Amino acid sequence: MHISDGIISTPVCLTATAAAIGLVYLTGRRATTEEIPRMGITGAALFVASLIHFPVAGTSIHLGLFGIAGIILGRRSFPVVFTALLFQALIFQHGGLLTLGVNAINMGTGAFMAWIIWRITAIPEYARAALAGFTGIIVPALLMIAEFRITGYGSAVAVIALIYIIAALIEGGITLSAVVFFRKVKPDILANPVLNCKHEKVYGDD
Amino acid sequence: MRHDFIDKYGHLDSPVHRLDPRMKIVTAFTGIVVIVTEPLSADPAHFLLYLALVTAVVSVTRLPVTYLVRRLLLVSPFILMAALFYPLSVFISRKEFFAANQEAILTAGAAILMKSLLAVLLLVLLSSTERFHRLLMALRRLRVPAIITTVSALLYRYIFIIADEALKSSRARDSRTPGKLRTGRIGVIGNQVAVIFLRSWERSRIVYQSMLSRGFSGEFPDMVDMHLRTADIVFPLLFIALLIAVRLII
Repeated sequence: MHISDGIISTPVCLTATAAAIGLVYLTGRRATTEEIPRMGITGAALFVASLIHFPVAGTSIHLGLFGIAGIILGRRSFPVVFTALLFQALIFQHGGLLTLGVNAINMGTGAFMAWIIWRITAIPEYARAALAGFTGIIVPALLMIAEFRITGYGSAVAVIALIYIIAALIEGGITLSAVVFFRKVKPDILANPVLNCKHEKVYGDD
Repeated sequence: MRHDFIDKYGHLDSPVHRLDPRMKIVTAFTGIVVIVTEPLSADPAHFLLYLALVTAVVSVTRLPVTYLVRRLLLVSPFILMAALFYPLSVFISRKEFFAANQEAILTAGAAILMKSLLAVLLLVLLSSTERFHRLLMALRRLRVPAIITTVSALLYRYIFIIADEALKSSRARDSRTPGKLRTGRIGVIGNQVAVIFLRSWERSRIVYQSMLSRGFSGEFPDMVDMHLRTADIVFPLLFIALLIAVRLII
């Protein structure tokens, strides 16, 4: 899902970069000092957990976990995804510098949409969780196809969507089971505590 | 697990290593922009000239060639796929158009491949000729928001600690579900993911409290000394000028 430099046309990259910088500003605004380590370390967990490979029909896919990121980090998931992508581009050359905005818009929007779904309390919690996991993968895949189409790729790129539908379904299941686990073990992680950090006592809260 | 590969070669000493990290970031970024904005119909000779220029820089860095090749090979499947997909998708969806412009479309595929590989090579150069924390400080001085650089610094510090924890939880999972996981795979992996997140969540609270007790004010102190020398300006500018010359004049 990481697009390298040179694949997507430059105007698309520049537009996406401008949009990504604007969104990082909007979603990262007024972050408290307590949120910074939480974002960094949860970001590291997001990165590590996404390296878990899942066997599917003879091959293996790795997880994206943008749904879970959206659920537990809320709107802060966007700057976390952006930073993780910058880190990956610099260290592992996974993705690129000029396409950083494109990749951040794709995956960050996935996490952001997952968070929006997670906030619709009218839907039962477990359905929301599965839907958030599904959205976290399918939204980036659809955005990616759109970018390929604008660059000049033929409409056959839409087959990517078929592959990602399977990945998104699995991701929905994994997000659901993770949320069930959180609900049992540490329900307050699901209450979007990142946004409520300001009100948390700093010392002696346990 | 091995932790040293991130900036394994950042400690080497070479003229490129000694350059100011800010200039290196700006140069790599500008270089990528110059190369990537080449039109898809660009003369393949351009890419060879770029490659020659980048190789010239590589040769003074004392980076092992096997290391560079390994880094390139690691990402090349994705790039190759995207490059092949371009002619393939046009072939499938617009057969007549493809038949009429076969050569141009194949050249475009090759251009995508070369552009991406060169951009990756520049990124490898950037990340292996500088220690990571210095790169972050340089980004900060280039006015990248503190939220990005501080979170990156934490990512850099904690990724391997959490990777070790994930390895432990994978072992625990495997020892409880010997052989292949046949049923409830999604549930088991979901629980494992949740455990990794929970532990990092708890850890972040402890880390925050110890950071606070050491006087954390929202940003890591900038303790890197950076001075622009003449060489820091001359060599990057020369490199960029040559790239632009290839792009515009030749």
